[in-house]
Amino acid sequence: MDQQKALLFGAAAAVRLFLFTAFPSLPSLLAGRVEVSTPVTSFKRLQEGLFLYVHNVSPYDGGVYHQAPLLLPLFSLLPNPSHYPFATNLLYTAVDLLGAHALMLVADSGQSITTRLSKSSRKDLRWNSAAVAASFLFNPFTLAACIARSTSALTNLFVLLALAKASQGASITFILSLSIASYLSMHPLLLFPPLLILCYDVRASKSKVAPSPLSFTIVHAVALVVTLCGLLYVSALLMGSWEFLSATYGVRLLLPDLTPNVGLWWYFFTEMFDSFREFFLGVFWLHVVSYMPGLTIRLRKQPLYVATTLTGIFAVFTPYPSIADAALYLSLVPLFRHLFPLMRYSFLASAVVLYASFLGPTFYHLWIYAGSGNANFFYAITLVWSLGFSIIIGDSLYAVLRDELDVERPELRGKEVARI
Amino acid sequence: MALLATLLALRKDARILKIPPYLSAFCIIVGVVWLLILPLNEYSRNTYVSENALLPGQVHTYFTGSEHNVFRAYRQEVAALAGSSVDQRSKRLSEIFQSNNLKVATQKYSYQASGRNISNENVYAVLQGPRADATEAVVMMAAWRNMAGDINHSGVALVLSLARYFKRWSLWSKDVIFLIPGDSTTGSQAWVDAYHDSHSPDTIEPLSIKSGALQGAVAVDYPAGPWGHRYDKLHIMYDGVNGQLPNLDLFNTAVSIASGQMGIGCTLQRMWKHDDSYQERLQTMLRGMISQGLGHATGPHSSFIPYHVDAITLQTVGDGWHDEMSLGRTVESLFRSLNNLLEHLHQSFFFYLLLQANRFVSIGTYLPSAMLIAMNFSITSIALWVLSGRSITTPPNPASTSNKDKQEKEKADVTVVKKDSAVAIVPTKSLETVERRLSLPLTFVAISHFLGLLPLYLFNNTHESYLDPIFYAILGLTGILPFATAAILQSFRRPTPQESNLIQCFSLLLLGMFLSALATLNFSLSFLVGILTTPLTFIRGTKNKIFAIIGSVILAILNPVVVIRAAVFFFGMDLRQVLVQAAEGWHVWGLWTQVVVWLVWWPAWFAGSVVVSGGLFS
Repeated sequence: MDQQKALLFGAAAAVRLFLFTAFPSLPSLLAGRVEVSTPVTSFKRLQEGLFLYVHNVSPYDGGVYHQAPLLLPLFSLLPNPSHYPFATNLLYTAVDLLGAHALMLVADSGQSITTRLSKSSRKDLRWNSAAVAASFLFNPFTLAACIARSTSALTNLFVLLALAKASQGASITFILSLSIASYLSMHPLLLFPPLLILCYDVRASKSKVAPSPLSFTIVHAVALVVTLCGLLYVSALLMGSWEFLSATYGVRLLLPDLTPNVGLWWYFFTEMFDSFREFFLGVFWLHVVSYMPGLTIRLRKQPLYVATTLTGIFAVFTPYPSIADAALYLSLVPLFRHLFPLMRYSFLASAVVLYASFLGPTFYHLWIYAGSGNANFFYAITLVWSLGFSIIIGDSLYAVLRDELDVERPELRGKEVARI
Repeated sequence: MALLATLLALRKDARILKIPPYLSAFCIIVGVVWLLILPLNEYSRNTYVSENALLPGQVHTYFTGSEHNVFRAYRQEVAALAGSSVDQRSKRLSEIFQSNNLKVATQKYSYQASGRNISNENVYAVLQGPRADATEAVVMMAAWRNMAGDINHSGVALVLSLARYFKRWSLWSKDVIFLIPGDSTTGSQAWVDAYHDSHSPDTIEPLSIKSGALQGAVAVDYPAGPWGHRYDKLHIMYDGVNGQLPNLDLFNTAVSIASGQMGIGCTLQRMWKHDDSYQERLQTMLRGMISQGLGHATGPHSSFIPYHVDAITLQTVGDGWHDEMSLGRTVESLFRSLNNLLEHLHQSFFFYLLLQANRFVSIGTYLPSAMLIAMNFSITSIALWVLSGRSITTPPNPASTSNKDKQEKEKADVTVVKKDSAVAIVPTKSLETVERRLSLPLTFVAISHFLGLLPLYLFNNTHESYLDPIFYAILGLTGILPFATAAILQSFRRPTPQESNLIQCFSLLLLGMFLSALATLNFSLSFLVGILTTPLTFIRGTKNKIFAIIGSVILAILNPVVVIRAAVFFFGMDLRQVLVQAAEGWHVWGLWTQVVVWLVWWPAWFAGSVVVSGGLFS
């Protein structure tokens, strides 16, 4: 097992370092692609912020940098990536490997199949953790996000760590990683309720006496708030003012930068009359948030599945999604190998995602470089891309409900069910 | 809802799997017929100028009279430079431009491709428009040598005399750049790369003077020697690198000025004689498609088009009564039209197939044919996916009376399917989905796509003298490889019928995806590759030796390398020349055709061949 893991990680690191060194222009090419780098995760913008930061100018002046302040001291420790990229490359490789390690911990915990309150009837059907990690490490989307050095790789790492720690019932590290993930990209905060349930379930099944749900929730919520406030306070100390809040979370909330991305928001808001902007911002955010309570309540017995589905929702419906978010979701889906036989549209969905990932760059080229297409071309493809992920999400929801039904009503197994 | 339920119920019907081959064949036939009817009047349109600002042929042209004497003098000057070195030539051309009070600069460039060194020097001059603010410019050029390698005597002389003539007018509201590239394709490529700062600075000099954003470029190819030659027609070349085309308005303006204002006939795609018959329209269209599909540079204009600068080349052809001054006036009128432009050409079509100088088919009309061809692969791929999920063993017939079946009859598991009032008893086996084994098919398809990188690298990085032997070596290797692979697979890890189906399924899925994406970029290439790969839809891995042999023979003929060799033979070209051009295209122009051949076409062919020849070894 350890040998297998070492081999896998070695191969993944080798592929990454090979791509970094054999194609020195590849990182900056990918960093410039709108599908990989969004205004809130772009490495080029990070470098801009870094330049201002080391010259003692506020990095948020000029309105280019929208990422968390604490990234700046971290990256200023590294040698300048435009001259000595190796250290940065090594950091991103390590981030991916750590993410894969966390994913293996999640897979080993078995929480995706057997939780405290539910037990899948197909629990023997699972991939070992190395296969799950391989599907994360060698996913082309993960590779692209890593080579582009997009900071969503860091968010992904902390989300995966939060999942891993929650599925081990390790409260402190779980809260710490989730608050760092939320500090970096804000929307992982929505993962708190399902992960809290996950953590609670694991703790309850480990100890003889289940902890009181209320005090468990309060303690963890307070801990999360305290850690987040601590991070924000340190940031404010570092920046000397609170202006970073509007430049980071303000941008994520209010969408002032309409650079195209693979999501659904940018086109909608370029077309929007200003008087309706606030209203639709509210509606769009409400839409994203509304999945969390619904799924958490309905699938209370399978919190890990809820968290996974929420990452898929983030990859489609947040304002600045990129293929790195899609990569996170796709790397979590193999944890639910037992649901695959129940999924009905897996071929359709993978074909749609595959088509969209080739047609997207093509249509972007037609729009931006060849000048023979227009924005509608690219937007149409982002719709198809989102449709593909929506199919996967919807189909896996069907599968998980069907699996639940098979447990509750074994006599219905294999029979057609119809909605009434 | 009822309709949806019926459709969903249909998925279980065994008969539905019989449809896809016919549906695919139908798509292909419709796709091909679609293309063939395009030349008819009902499906094509007369060209028209969309951009009102162009006003083609509305100005009086004054390039006559004494300008003719200037032109003849310059032609003698150019003829005197014919045998001189590159430096002397550049020096003298610069002097001529300078004597007309234009800013002049030169640019040295050198490229390495197939072990050859292509180096030369560009000379260019900038006329600052009296009414311009240096934000926009148009380019007039005449390459020192044309595509055939002849010295472009009269073309260069015409650019020199027009430079002198244009300088005296005060009406230019854009800068005019006069460019004399050292040769037809690499020179203009080096210049336009450097103009947009995307050149490799080690071998290509940056431009010392520049103007604004390029709005258009017109090249003149008139190789008549010092004593002139009267021509019959203008041959307008419009294909850019990788099959990109200039805005149709530029082409239309040139045609409308040449034929409407000057009375010079226009022709395209080497159709010297065009009587507007169906055959000739079709031939023009097919020649255009082949040229677009190959994606090679057809003249000095080709390099401009990838930078979104609309460009054409005017070439004089035939023996007739039009002289150099009528060509000069055509160019003058064309530049007056471009001078009127208020914004970048955008009104008219960027995707079109020309049937004749004044007839075209727009993208909306022709695109479905390539899309249908690409779709046939996707349909087959979906069908193969569904097929791979069906259990292979046919369930025993429960109504059979034979003894053996009777014993199994009791065991035969049946499911009662109720639909509205109808009830059917179906063997459960035919309703179940078999677990698919994906690892071997996925690995195989991925590896076959990576294998294509090898020939791609070899052809682009081999010395000229080894290109021929390498080509034949690869021809032999690719001929044997499918059989060898099939034999190895059969002896080590015999693929189940399901795995063979899945190999084909994934390979066709990728092919369909690549071709439909490609159809939006380079319609012709997508169509040509699609047509040449259609047999892959219909062949299947089979145990029947005769079918396997027939399938293998068909595929052996359609081996991309064999097809390339046959096409080179058919068009009477020299193989090495073609390979050298392709490598030059890769290193200089940024040509992508090879990538499509080796990473799209070849892997699909390889996967199909391995599946078919598997039948020979089973």
